[in-house]
Amino acid sequence: MELQASKAQAVPVPSVWRFTPLGLLLVICLILPWLASPLWIRIATEVLMWAGLAQSWNIIGGYTGYLCFGHGAFFGLGSYVTGLMMVNLGWPFGIGLLFSGILASLLAVIIGYPTLRLRGAYFAIATWAFGEMVRQIATILDVTGGAFGLQLPSFLNLRYFYYVMLAVTGLTYLTTHFLLERARFGYKLLAIREHEEAAEMVGVDTVSIKMKAFALSAFFPGVLGGIYAYWVTYIHPDSVLGAQLTDFMVVMAFLGGIGSLWGPFLGAVVVQLLQRILWLFWGEGTFYLVIIGVAICAVVLFIPNGLIGLMESRFLSPREAVSQLKKTFKW
Amino acid sequence: MILQSNDLVKSFGGVTAINHLSLTVEKGTVFGIIGPNGSGKTTFFNLVNGVYTPDSGRVTFDGKNITGLRPHRIAELGIGRTFQIPAPFTKMTLLENVMVSTFIRASSLKESRKMAWEILELVRLDDKGNTQVANVTLEDRKRLELARALGTKPSLLLLDEVMAGLTPAEVKGAIELIRSLRTRELTIIVVEHIMDVILSLCDRIAVLDYGQKIAEDIPDQIVNNKEVIRAYLGERYSARN
Repeated sequence: MELQASKAQAVPVPSVWRFTPLGLLLVICLILPWLASPLWIRIATEVLMWAGLAQSWNIIGGYTGYLCFGHGAFFGLGSYVTGLMMVNLGWPFGIGLLFSGILASLLAVIIGYPTLRLRGAYFAIATWAFGEMVRQIATILDVTGGAFGLQLPSFLNLRYFYYVMLAVTGLTYLTTHFLLERARFGYKLLAIREHEEAAEMVGVDTVSIKMKAFALSAFFPGVLGGIYAYWVTYIHPDSVLGAQLTDFMVVMAFLGGIGSLWGPFLGAVVVQLLQRILWLFWGEGTFYLVIIGVAICAVVLFIPNGLIGLMESRFLSPREAVSQLKKTFKW
Repeated sequence: MILQSNDLVKSFGGVTAINHLSLTVEKGTVFGIIGPNGSGKTTFFNLVNGVYTPDSGRVTFDGKNITGLRPHRIAELGIGRTFQIPAPFTKMTLLENVMVSTFIRASSLKESRKMAWEILELVRLDDKGNTQVANVTLEDRKRLELARALGTKPSLLLLDEVMAGLTPAEVKGAIELIRSLRTRELTIIVVEHIMDVILSLCDRIAVLDYGQKIAEDIPDQIVNNKEVIRAYLGERYSARN
Protein backbone atom coordinates (compact mmCIF):
# COMPACT_ATOMS: atom_id res chain seq x y z
CA MET A 1 0.00 0.00 0.00
CA GLU A 2 2.83 2.36 0.79
CA LEU A 3 4.25 1.75 -2.64
CA GLN A 4 0.94 2.63 -4.19
CA ALA A 5 0.77 5.89 -2.30
CA SER A 6 4.22 7.01 -3.34
CA LYS A 7 3.41 6.26 -6.97
CA ALA A 8 0.25 8.30 -6.85
CA GLN A 9 2.40 11.29 -5.99
CA ALA A 10 4.55 10.76 -9.02
CA VAL A 11 1.62 11.86 -11.16
CA PRO A 12 1.80 15.66 -11.49
CA VAL A 13 -0.69 17.41 -9.27
CA PRO A 14 -2.60 20.19 -11.03
CA SER A 15 -1.88 23.45 -9.29
CA VAL A 16 -3.32 26.90 -9.84
CA TRP A 17 0.04 28.15 -11.11
CA ARG A 18 0.13 25.63 -13.91
CA PHE A 19 -2.81 27.33 -15.54
CA THR A 20 -1.46 30.86 -15.26
CA PRO A 21 0.22 30.96 -18.71
CA LEU A 22 -2.87 29.44 -20.28
CA GLY A 23 -5.15 31.97 -18.59
CA LEU A 24 -2.90 34.80 -19.69
CA LEU A 25 -2.95 33.56 -23.29
CA LEU A 26 -6.73 33.31 -23.20
CA VAL A 27 -7.12 36.84 -21.84
CA ILE A 28 -4.78 38.20 -24.52
CA CYS A 29 -6.72 36.35 -27.20
CA LEU A 30 -10.03 37.68 -25.90
CA ILE A 31 -9.11 41.36 -25.66
CA LEU A 32 -6.82 41.53 -28.67
CA PRO A 33 -9.43 42.70 -31.22
CA TRP A 34 -10.20 45.73 -29.02
CA LEU A 35 -6.58 46.85 -28.87
CA ALA A 36 -5.17 46.01 -32.27
CA SER A 37 -5.56 47.78 -35.61
CA PRO A 38 -7.69 46.10 -38.32
CA LEU A 39 -4.53 44.86 -40.03
CA TRP A 40 -3.34 43.12 -36.90
CA ILE A 41 -6.78 41.68 -36.24
CA ARG A 42 -6.56 40.13 -39.68
CA ILE A 43 -3.11 38.75 -38.98
CA ALA A 44 -4.22 37.41 -35.60
CA THR A 45 -7.21 35.72 -37.25
CA GLU A 46 -4.86 34.11 -39.75
CA VAL A 47 -2.56 32.93 -37.00
CA LEU A 48 -5.49 31.38 -35.14
CA MET A 49 -6.68 29.62 -38.28
CA TRP A 50 -3.25 28.16 -38.91
CA ALA A 51 -2.92 27.13 -35.28
CA GLY A 52 -6.15 25.17 -35.67
CA LEU A 53 -5.09 23.65 -38.98
CA ALA A 54 -1.66 22.64 -37.71
CA GLN A 55 -3.24 20.99 -34.69
CA SER A 56 -5.71 19.11 -36.88
CA TRP A 57 -2.85 17.77 -38.95
CA ASN A 58 -1.02 16.91 -35.75
CA ILE A 59 -3.82 14.51 -34.75
CA ILE A 60 -3.14 12.17 -37.66
CA GLY A 61 0.46 13.16 -38.47
CA GLY A 62 1.89 13.74 -35.01
CA TYR A 63 -0.06 11.58 -32.61
CA THR A 64 -0.85 8.71 -34.97
CA GLY A 65 2.32 8.87 -37.07
CA TYR A 66 0.55 8.90 -40.44
CA LEU A 67 2.00 11.72 -42.55
CA CYS A 68 -1.00 13.07 -44.42
CA PHE A 69 -0.12 15.27 -47.39
CA GLY A 70 -3.65 15.86 -48.55
CA HIS A 71 -5.02 17.70 -45.57
CA GLY A 72 -5.59 20.88 -47.55
CA ALA A 73 -8.37 19.04 -49.36
CA PHE A 74 -10.47 18.98 -46.20
CA PHE A 75 -9.98 22.71 -45.77
CA GLY A 76 -10.94 23.33 -49.40
CA LEU A 77 -13.93 21.04 -49.18
CA GLY A 78 -15.11 22.98 -46.12
CA SER A 79 -14.68 26.30 -47.92
CA TYR A 80 -16.71 25.17 -50.90
CA VAL A 81 -19.42 23.45 -48.88
CA THR A 82 -20.04 26.50 -46.70
CA GLY A 83 -19.78 28.80 -49.71
CA LEU A 84 -22.14 26.82 -51.89
CA MET A 85 -24.67 26.34 -49.13
CA MET A 86 -24.78 30.04 -48.42
CA VAL A 87 -24.83 31.09 -52.07
CA ASN A 88 -27.08 28.46 -53.62
CA LEU A 89 -29.28 27.36 -50.77
CA GLY A 90 -29.25 30.49 -48.66
CA TRP A 91 -28.47 28.49 -45.53
CA PRO A 92 -27.08 30.23 -42.47
CA PHE A 93 -23.34 30.37 -41.92
CA GLY A 94 -23.39 28.20 -38.79
CA ILE A 95 -25.21 25.31 -40.48
CA GLY A 96 -22.79 25.55 -43.39
CA LEU A 97 -19.85 25.21 -40.98
CA LEU A 98 -21.33 22.17 -39.32
CA PHE A 99 -21.95 20.52 -42.67
CA SER A 100 -18.44 21.39 -43.82
CA GLY A 101 -16.96 19.64 -40.83
CA ILE A 102 -19.15 16.57 -41.13
CA LEU A 103 -18.58 16.19 -44.87
CA ALA A 104 -14.83 16.58 -44.41
CA SER A 105 -14.90 13.80 -41.80
CA LEU A 106 -16.98 11.63 -44.10
CA LEU A 107 -14.54 12.17 -46.94
CA ALA A 108 -11.70 11.26 -44.57
CA VAL A 109 -13.40 7.96 -43.77
CA ILE A 110 -13.86 7.18 -47.46
CA ILE A 111 -10.28 8.07 -48.29
CA GLY A 112 -8.88 6.59 -45.10
CA TYR A 113 -10.40 3.17 -45.67
CA PRO A 114 -8.02 2.26 -48.49
CA THR A 115 -5.09 4.56 -47.67
CA LEU A 116 -4.68 3.96 -43.93
CA ARG A 117 -3.37 0.49 -44.76
CA LEU A 118 -0.32 2.14 -46.25
CA ARG A 119 2.64 3.21 -44.17
CA GLY A 120 5.22 5.94 -44.22
CA ALA A 121 5.99 7.41 -47.62
CA TYR A 122 3.26 5.39 -49.34
CA PHE A 123 0.55 6.93 -47.20
CA ALA A 124 2.05 10.38 -47.80
CA ILE A 125 2.00 9.87 -51.58
CA ALA A 126 -1.52 8.45 -51.63
CA THR A 127 -2.94 11.33 -49.62
CA TRP A 128 -1.03 13.85 -51.71
CA ALA A 129 -2.61 12.37 -54.83
CA PHE A 130 -5.99 12.58 -53.14
CA GLY A 131 -5.43 16.27 -52.40
CA GLU A 132 -4.54 16.96 -56.02
CA MET A 133 -7.59 15.04 -57.15
CA VAL A 134 -9.92 17.18 -55.07
CA ARG A 135 -8.29 20.34 -56.44
CA GLN A 136 -8.74 19.16 -60.02
CA ILE A 137 -12.36 18.27 -59.39
CA ALA A 138 -13.06 21.73 -57.95
CA THR A 139 -11.40 23.25 -61.02
CA ILE A 140 -13.49 21.42 -63.61
CA LEU A 141 -16.90 21.39 -61.93
CA ASP A 142 -19.48 24.00 -62.92
CA VAL A 143 -21.12 24.23 -59.54
CA THR A 144 -17.90 25.39 -57.85
CA GLY A 145 -17.35 28.08 -60.44
CA GLY A 146 -14.36 26.15 -61.78
CA ALA A 147 -11.13 28.09 -62.05
CA PHE A 148 -13.03 31.37 -61.68
CA GLY A 149 -13.86 30.58 -58.11
CA LEU A 150 -16.82 31.40 -55.94
CA GLN A 151 -18.03 34.73 -54.60
CA LEU A 152 -19.69 34.63 -51.19
CA PRO A 153 -21.98 37.23 -49.66
CA SER A 154 -19.74 39.68 -47.88
CA PHE A 155 -19.95 40.38 -44.21
CA LEU A 156 -17.23 42.77 -43.19
CA ASN A 157 -16.82 42.42 -39.48
CA LEU A 158 -13.26 41.62 -38.56
CA ARG A 159 -13.97 41.07 -34.88
CA TYR A 160 -16.75 38.63 -35.65
CA PHE A 161 -14.47 36.45 -37.74
CA TYR A 162 -11.69 36.75 -35.21
CA TYR A 163 -13.92 35.40 -32.45
CA VAL A 164 -15.40 32.63 -34.59
CA MET A 165 -11.91 31.55 -35.55
CA LEU A 166 -10.82 31.74 -31.91
CA ALA A 167 -13.77 29.59 -30.85
CA VAL A 168 -13.17 26.86 -33.42
CA THR A 169 -9.41 26.79 -32.91
CA GLY A 170 -10.02 26.76 -29.16
CA LEU A 171 -12.30 23.78 -29.69
CA THR A 172 -9.57 22.04 -31.66
CA TYR A 173 -7.16 22.43 -28.77
CA LEU A 174 -9.74 21.44 -26.16
CA THR A 175 -10.60 18.32 -28.14
CA THR A 176 -6.95 17.44 -28.50
CA HIS A 177 -6.41 17.96 -24.80
CA PHE A 178 -9.34 15.91 -23.59
CA LEU A 179 -9.43 13.23 -26.25
CA LEU A 180 -5.76 12.77 -26.99
CA GLU A 181 -3.84 13.87 -23.92
CA ARG A 182 -6.27 12.75 -21.24
CA ALA A 183 -8.09 9.73 -22.63
CA ARG A 184 -7.52 6.19 -23.74
CA PHE A 185 -8.04 7.24 -27.35
CA GLY A 186 -4.82 9.27 -27.26
CA TYR A 187 -2.81 6.44 -25.74
CA LYS A 188 -4.07 4.11 -28.43
CA LEU A 189 -2.99 6.55 -31.13
CA LEU A 190 0.49 6.79 -29.64
CA ALA A 191 0.66 3.01 -29.42
CA ILE A 192 -0.25 2.76 -33.12
CA ARG A 193 2.43 5.31 -33.97
CA GLU A 194 5.07 3.50 -31.95
CA HIS A 195 4.29 -0.08 -33.02
CA GLU A 196 1.11 -0.83 -34.87
CA GLU A 197 1.30 -4.65 -34.75
CA ALA A 198 2.00 -4.61 -31.03
CA ALA A 199 -0.91 -2.26 -30.47
CA GLU A 200 -3.25 -4.57 -32.35
CA MET A 201 -1.95 -7.50 -30.33
CA VAL A 202 -2.79 -5.96 -26.98
CA GLY A 203 -6.36 -5.35 -28.03
CA VAL A 204 -6.32 -2.03 -29.88
CA ASP A 205 -8.66 -2.14 -32.87
CA THR A 206 -6.12 -0.33 -35.03
CA VAL A 207 -8.28 -0.08 -38.15
CA SER A 208 -11.16 1.63 -36.42
CA ILE A 209 -8.99 3.83 -34.20
CA LYS A 210 -6.96 5.11 -37.17
CA MET A 211 -10.15 5.86 -39.04
CA LYS A 212 -11.56 7.80 -36.10
CA ALA A 213 -8.34 9.77 -35.77
CA PHE A 214 -8.37 10.61 -39.47
CA ALA A 215 -12.02 11.67 -39.37
CA LEU A 216 -11.37 13.85 -36.31
CA SER A 217 -8.32 15.43 -37.92
CA ALA A 218 -10.41 16.26 -41.02
CA PHE A 219 -13.37 17.75 -39.15
CA PHE A 220 -11.65 20.92 -37.94
CA PRO A 221 -10.03 21.87 -41.28
CA GLY A 222 -13.50 21.51 -42.81
CA VAL A 223 -14.97 24.00 -40.34
CA LEU A 224 -11.99 26.36 -40.51
CA GLY A 225 -12.23 26.29 -44.31
CA GLY A 226 -15.86 27.37 -44.05
CA ILE A 227 -14.96 30.30 -41.81
CA TYR A 228 -12.14 31.27 -44.13
CA ALA A 229 -14.45 31.31 -47.15
CA TYR A 230 -16.98 33.64 -45.52
CA TRP A 231 -14.21 35.78 -44.07
CA VAL A 232 -12.33 36.44 -47.32
CA THR A 233 -15.60 36.28 -49.35
CA TYR A 234 -13.92 34.92 -52.47
CA ILE A 235 -12.40 31.48 -52.96
CA HIS A 236 -10.93 29.63 -55.89
CA PRO A 237 -9.20 26.24 -56.23
CA ASP A 238 -5.69 27.62 -55.78
CA SER A 239 -6.50 29.66 -52.71
CA VAL A 240 -8.26 26.95 -50.72
CA LEU A 241 -7.00 23.73 -52.31
CA GLY A 242 -3.40 24.55 -53.19
CA ALA A 243 -0.67 22.16 -52.12
CA GLN A 244 0.88 24.98 -50.08
CA LEU A 245 -1.95 24.72 -47.57
CA THR A 246 -1.01 21.20 -46.63
CA ASP A 247 2.67 22.02 -46.70
CA PHE A 248 2.21 24.78 -44.16
CA MET A 249 0.20 22.62 -41.80
CA VAL A 250 3.02 20.08 -41.88
CA VAL A 251 5.74 22.70 -41.53
CA MET A 252 4.07 24.41 -38.60
CA ALA A 253 3.41 21.17 -36.77
CA PHE A 254 6.99 19.99 -37.29
CA LEU A 255 8.55 23.31 -36.38
CA GLY A 256 6.53 23.59 -33.19
CA GLY A 257 6.76 19.93 -32.27
CA ILE A 258 4.61 17.07 -33.51
CA GLY A 259 2.68 14.88 -31.13
CA SER A 260 2.41 17.64 -28.55
CA LEU A 261 -0.51 19.85 -27.63
CA TRP A 262 1.19 23.25 -27.86
CA GLY A 263 3.75 22.52 -30.55
CA PRO A 264 1.48 23.25 -33.52
CA PHE A 265 0.29 26.45 -31.86
CA LEU A 266 3.84 27.65 -31.40
CA GLY A 267 4.72 26.64 -34.95
CA ALA A 268 1.74 28.48 -36.41
CA VAL A 269 2.51 31.65 -34.46
CA VAL A 270 6.17 31.64 -35.48
CA VAL A 271 5.68 30.81 -39.16
CA GLN A 272 2.67 33.01 -39.83
CA LEU A 273 3.99 35.99 -37.91
CA LEU A 274 7.37 35.67 -39.60
CA GLN A 275 5.70 35.59 -42.97
CA ARG A 276 3.58 38.64 -42.24
CA ILE A 277 6.38 40.65 -40.68
CA LEU A 278 8.66 40.05 -43.64
CA TRP A 279 5.82 41.00 -45.93
CA LEU A 280 4.95 44.14 -43.97
CA PHE A 281 8.42 45.52 -43.51
CA TRP A 282 10.19 44.37 -46.64
CA GLY A 283 7.24 43.88 -48.94
CA GLU A 284 8.61 40.43 -49.52
CA GLY A 285 6.17 37.65 -50.32
CA THR A 286 8.31 34.65 -51.19
CA PHE A 287 11.69 34.95 -49.50
CA TYR A 288 10.21 33.79 -46.21
CA LEU A 289 9.81 30.39 -47.85
CA VAL A 290 13.60 30.12 -47.98
CA ILE A 291 13.93 31.02 -44.32
CA ILE A 292 11.22 28.58 -43.36
CA GLY A 293 12.79 25.87 -45.51
CA VAL A 294 16.10 26.25 -43.73
CA ALA A 295 14.39 26.42 -40.35
CA ILE A 296 12.41 23.26 -40.96
CA CYS A 297 15.54 21.37 -42.06
CA ALA A 298 17.31 22.44 -38.91
CA VAL A 299 14.38 21.53 -36.69
CA VAL A 300 13.80 18.13 -38.25
CA LEU A 301 17.48 17.25 -38.05
CA PHE A 302 18.53 18.64 -34.72
CA ILE A 303 15.45 19.06 -32.57
CA PRO A 304 12.96 16.40 -33.66
CA ASN A 305 10.68 17.37 -30.82
CA GLY A 306 10.33 20.84 -32.30
CA LEU A 307 10.49 24.23 -30.63
CA ILE A 308 8.31 22.97 -27.80
CA GLY A 309 10.85 20.20 -27.20
CA LEU A 310 13.67 22.72 -26.89
CA MET A 311 12.43 23.55 -23.46
CA GLU A 312 12.91 20.04 -22.13
CA SER A 313 15.26 18.06 -24.33
CA ARG A 314 18.80 18.17 -25.62
CA PHE A 315 19.97 18.54 -29.20
CA LEU A 316 20.53 15.38 -31.24
CA SER A 317 23.55 14.61 -33.35
CA PRO A 318 22.78 14.34 -37.09
CA ARG A 319 23.10 10.55 -37.02
CA GLU A 320 20.77 10.17 -34.05
CA ALA A 321 18.38 12.54 -35.74
CA VAL A 322 18.14 10.49 -38.94
CA SER A 323 17.60 7.22 -37.10
CA GLN A 324 14.96 8.91 -34.98
CA LEU A 325 13.11 10.03 -38.06
CA LYS A 326 13.28 6.62 -39.69
CA LYS A 327 11.89 5.02 -36.58
CA THR A 328 9.05 7.47 -36.28
CA PHE A 329 7.84 7.08 -39.83
CA LYS A 330 8.79 3.48 -40.55
CA TRP A 331 10.93 4.27 -43.57
CA MET B 1 -8.50 -28.37 -23.29
CA ILE B 2 -8.07 -24.65 -23.87
CA LEU B 3 -6.43 -24.50 -27.27
CA GLN B 4 -6.71 -26.84 -30.18
CA SER B 5 -5.38 -26.52 -33.69
CA ASN B 6 -6.85 -28.83 -36.29
CA ASP B 7 -4.91 -29.69 -39.40
CA LEU B 8 -3.45 -26.17 -39.80
CA VAL B 9 -1.75 -25.31 -43.07
CA LYS B 10 0.01 -22.06 -43.90
CA SER B 11 2.36 -21.47 -46.78
CA PHE B 12 4.20 -18.41 -48.02
CA GLY B 13 4.78 -18.63 -51.75
CA GLY B 14 6.31 -22.04 -52.26
CA VAL B 15 7.31 -22.56 -48.63
CA THR B 16 4.96 -24.47 -46.39
CA ALA B 17 5.65 -23.00 -42.97
CA ILE B 18 2.98 -24.99 -41.16
CA ASN B 19 2.07 -28.37 -42.61
CA HIS B 20 -1.07 -30.09 -41.32
CA LEU B 21 -0.36 -29.25 -37.70
CA SER B 22 -2.69 -30.48 -34.99
CA LEU B 23 -1.98 -29.62 -31.36
CA THR B 24 -4.03 -29.80 -28.20
CA VAL B 25 -3.08 -27.83 -25.09
CA GLU B 26 -4.72 -28.63 -21.76
CA LYS B 27 -5.90 -25.87 -19.45
CA GLY B 28 -3.51 -24.81 -16.70
CA THR B 29 -0.45 -26.48 -18.16
CA VAL B 30 2.82 -25.12 -19.48
CA PHE B 31 3.27 -26.39 -22.99
CA GLY B 32 6.61 -26.18 -24.78
CA ILE B 33 7.24 -25.95 -28.50
CA ILE B 34 10.76 -26.56 -29.78
CA GLY B 35 12.31 -27.10 -33.16
CA PRO B 36 15.05 -25.84 -35.47
CA ASN B 37 15.00 -22.33 -36.87
CA GLY B 38 12.34 -21.98 -39.53
CA SER B 39 10.38 -24.97 -38.29
CA GLY B 40 7.23 -22.88 -37.89
CA LYS B 41 7.11 -22.07 -34.18
CA THR B 42 6.54 -18.35 -34.54
CA THR B 43 4.25 -18.91 -37.52
CA PHE B 44 2.15 -21.14 -35.30
CA PHE B 45 1.82 -18.30 -32.78
CA ASN B 46 0.91 -15.92 -35.56
CA LEU B 47 -1.83 -18.28 -36.68
CA VAL B 48 -3.18 -18.66 -33.17
CA ASN B 49 -3.38 -14.97 -32.39
CA GLY B 50 -4.65 -13.86 -35.76
CA VAL B 51 -1.66 -12.18 -37.37
CA TYR B 52 -1.99 -14.72 -40.18
CA THR B 53 -5.06 -16.54 -41.43
CA PRO B 54 -4.41 -20.22 -42.10
CA ASP B 55 -4.80 -21.57 -45.65
CA SER B 56 -6.83 -24.38 -44.17
CA GLY B 57 -7.58 -25.92 -40.81
CA ARG B 58 -8.97 -24.27 -37.72
CA VAL B 59 -8.00 -22.96 -34.32
CA THR B 60 -10.33 -23.47 -31.37
CA PHE B 61 -9.84 -21.51 -28.17
CA ASP B 62 -11.91 -22.26 -25.09
CA GLY B 63 -14.55 -23.95 -27.23
CA LYS B 64 -14.79 -21.09 -29.73
CA ASN B 65 -13.60 -21.17 -33.31
CA ILE B 66 -11.18 -18.22 -33.56
CA THR B 67 -9.81 -18.93 -37.03
CA GLY B 68 -9.47 -15.76 -39.07
CA LEU B 69 -10.35 -13.31 -36.28
CA ARG B 70 -8.24 -10.16 -36.07
CA PRO B 71 -5.53 -10.02 -33.36
CA HIS B 72 -7.30 -7.40 -31.25
CA ARG B 73 -10.41 -9.59 -31.08
CA ILE B 74 -8.32 -12.57 -30.06
CA ALA B 75 -6.64 -10.49 -27.37
CA GLU B 76 -10.09 -9.60 -26.04
CA LEU B 77 -11.04 -13.26 -25.96
CA GLY B 78 -8.03 -13.95 -23.75
CA ILE B 79 -4.89 -14.82 -25.69
CA GLY B 80 -1.85 -12.74 -24.78
CA ARG B 81 1.39 -12.86 -26.70
CA THR B 82 4.95 -11.58 -26.55
CA PHE B 83 7.18 -10.76 -29.49
CA GLN B 84 10.44 -12.57 -30.08
CA ILE B 85 12.14 -9.24 -30.65
CA PRO B 86 10.72 -6.82 -28.07
CA ALA B 87 8.31 -4.42 -29.73
CA PRO B 88 7.68 -1.78 -27.09
CA PHE B 89 6.00 1.58 -27.64
CA THR B 90 9.37 3.32 -27.52
CA LYS B 91 8.40 6.91 -26.89
CA MET B 92 6.15 6.02 -24.00
CA THR B 93 6.90 5.13 -20.40
CA LEU B 94 6.82 1.53 -19.19
CA LEU B 95 3.64 2.33 -17.30
CA GLU B 96 1.95 3.72 -20.41
CA ASN B 97 3.02 0.66 -22.39
CA VAL B 98 1.23 -1.63 -19.98
CA MET B 99 -1.72 0.73 -19.61
CA VAL B 100 -2.52 0.43 -23.32
CA SER B 101 -2.86 -3.31 -22.94
CA THR B 102 -5.16 -3.04 -19.92
CA PHE B 103 -7.68 -0.89 -21.81
CA ILE B 104 -9.70 -3.92 -22.91
CA ARG B 105 -10.14 -4.93 -19.25
CA ALA B 106 -10.43 -1.61 -17.47
CA SER B 107 -13.38 0.75 -17.48
CA SER B 108 -11.43 3.96 -16.92
CA LEU B 109 -8.01 5.45 -17.36
CA LYS B 110 -7.62 5.51 -13.60
CA GLU B 111 -8.42 1.83 -13.28
CA SER B 112 -6.04 0.87 -16.06
CA ARG B 113 -3.28 2.91 -14.41
CA LYS B 114 -3.84 0.96 -11.22
CA MET B 115 -3.87 -2.38 -13.06
CA ALA B 116 -0.70 -1.46 -14.91
CA TRP B 117 1.14 -0.65 -11.68
CA GLU B 118 0.12 -4.02 -10.26
CA ILE B 119 1.44 -5.85 -13.29
CA LEU B 120 4.68 -3.88 -13.27
CA GLU B 121 5.08 -4.88 -9.65
CA LEU B 122 4.49 -8.52 -10.57
CA VAL B 123 7.30 -8.49 -13.15
CA ARG B 124 9.42 -6.31 -10.86
CA LEU B 125 9.52 -3.25 -13.08
CA ASP B 126 7.55 -0.98 -10.79
CA ASP B 127 10.62 1.09 -9.94
CA LYS B 128 10.94 2.02 -13.62
CA GLY B 129 7.28 2.70 -14.32
CA ASN B 130 7.81 6.32 -15.21
CA THR B 131 10.93 5.71 -17.30
CA GLN B 132 10.83 5.93 -21.09
CA VAL B 133 11.40 2.62 -22.85
CA ALA B 134 14.38 4.09 -24.68
CA ASN B 135 16.22 4.25 -21.35
CA VAL B 136 15.88 0.64 -20.15
CA THR B 137 17.94 -2.50 -20.79
CA LEU B 138 17.12 -5.51 -22.97
CA GLU B 139 16.20 -7.56 -19.93
CA ASP B 140 13.74 -4.91 -18.84
CA ARG B 141 12.30 -4.76 -22.35
CA LYS B 142 11.75 -8.50 -22.28
CA ARG B 143 10.03 -8.16 -18.94
CA LEU B 144 7.98 -5.31 -20.34
CA GLU B 145 6.96 -7.55 -23.26
CA LEU B 146 5.66 -10.02 -20.69
CA ALA B 147 4.01 -7.29 -18.63
CA ARG B 148 2.22 -5.95 -21.67
CA ALA B 149 0.94 -9.41 -22.55
CA LEU B 150 -0.27 -9.85 -18.96
CA GLY B 151 -2.03 -6.51 -19.14
CA THR B 152 -4.66 -8.03 -21.39
CA LYS B 153 -5.47 -10.48 -18.55
CA PRO B 154 -5.02 -13.53 -20.77
CA SER B 155 -6.11 -17.06 -19.99
CA LEU B 156 -3.61 -18.29 -22.56
CA LEU B 157 -0.17 -16.74 -22.81
CA LEU B 158 2.09 -17.28 -25.82
CA LEU B 159 5.73 -16.65 -24.95
CA ASP B 160 7.96 -16.38 -28.01
CA GLU B 161 11.59 -16.79 -26.90
CA VAL B 162 11.35 -14.48 -23.93
CA MET B 163 14.79 -15.61 -22.74
CA ALA B 164 16.76 -15.16 -25.95
CA GLY B 165 19.66 -12.77 -25.48
CA LEU B 166 19.59 -12.82 -21.69
CA THR B 167 22.57 -13.70 -19.50
CA PRO B 168 22.38 -16.98 -17.50
CA ALA B 169 21.58 -15.07 -14.33
CA GLU B 170 18.82 -13.16 -16.07
CA VAL B 171 17.44 -16.41 -17.51
CA LYS B 172 17.20 -17.81 -14.00
CA GLY B 173 15.20 -14.79 -12.90
CA ALA B 174 12.93 -15.10 -15.91
CA ILE B 175 12.25 -18.79 -15.21
CA GLU B 176 11.28 -17.92 -11.64
CA LEU B 177 9.01 -15.22 -12.95
CA ILE B 178 7.20 -17.52 -15.38
CA ARG B 179 6.85 -20.17 -12.68
CA SER B 180 5.25 -17.61 -10.43
CA LEU B 181 2.66 -16.86 -13.12
CA ARG B 182 1.51 -20.45 -13.23
CA THR B 183 -2.01 -20.80 -11.93
CA ARG B 184 -4.90 -23.06 -12.70
CA GLU B 185 -6.42 -20.29 -14.79
CA LEU B 186 -3.40 -19.39 -16.89
CA THR B 187 -2.16 -21.71 -19.60
CA ILE B 188 1.26 -20.92 -21.06
CA ILE B 189 2.77 -21.98 -24.36
CA VAL B 190 6.53 -21.45 -24.49
CA VAL B 191 8.69 -21.32 -27.60
CA GLU B 192 12.31 -21.44 -26.60
CA HIS B 193 15.71 -22.62 -27.82
CA ILE B 194 17.31 -22.92 -24.40
CA MET B 195 16.62 -26.58 -23.54
CA ASP B 196 17.15 -26.18 -19.80
CA VAL B 197 14.40 -23.59 -19.74
CA ILE B 198 12.00 -25.78 -21.69
CA LEU B 199 12.75 -28.88 -19.65
CA SER B 200 12.39 -27.16 -16.30
CA LEU B 201 9.19 -25.29 -17.15
CA CYS B 202 7.06 -27.50 -19.33
CA ASP B 203 4.55 -30.24 -18.61
CA ARG B 204 4.46 -31.31 -22.23
CA ILE B 205 6.62 -30.57 -25.22
CA ALA B 206 5.88 -30.67 -28.93
CA VAL B 207 8.68 -30.74 -31.48
CA LEU B 208 8.25 -29.11 -34.88
CA ASP B 209 10.30 -29.74 -38.00
CA TYR B 210 9.46 -28.25 -41.40
CA GLY B 211 6.08 -27.19 -40.09
CA GLN B 212 5.13 -30.67 -38.95
CA LYS B 213 4.86 -32.11 -35.49
CA ILE B 214 7.42 -34.88 -35.23
CA ALA B 215 6.92 -35.66 -31.56
CA GLU B 216 4.89 -34.71 -28.53
CA ASP B 217 5.52 -36.03 -25.06
CA ILE B 218 6.57 -35.27 -21.49
CA PRO B 219 10.05 -33.68 -21.18
CA ASP B 220 11.85 -36.88 -20.05
CA GLN B 221 10.67 -38.78 -23.09
CA ILE B 222 11.35 -35.98 -25.56
CA VAL B 223 15.09 -35.84 -24.84
CA ASN B 224 15.39 -39.54 -25.63
CA ASN B 225 13.22 -39.51 -28.74
CA LYS B 226 15.34 -40.64 -31.73
CA GLU B 227 13.49 -38.43 -34.21
CA VAL B 228 13.90 -35.34 -32.02
CA ILE B 229 17.61 -36.00 -31.55
CA ARG B 230 18.07 -36.29 -35.29
CA ALA B 231 16.10 -33.18 -36.20
CA TYR B 232 16.90 -30.80 -33.39
CA LEU B 233 18.86 -31.80 -30.31
CA GLY B 234 21.79 -33.55 -32.01
CA GLU B 235 23.79 -36.56 -30.85
CA ARG B 236 25.88 -34.50 -28.45
CA TYR B 237 22.89 -33.43 -26.43
CA SER B 238 21.49 -36.93 -26.08
CA ALA B 239 24.89 -38.32 -25.09
CA ARG B 240 25.09 -35.76 -22.30
CA ASN B 241 21.91 -37.06 -20.75
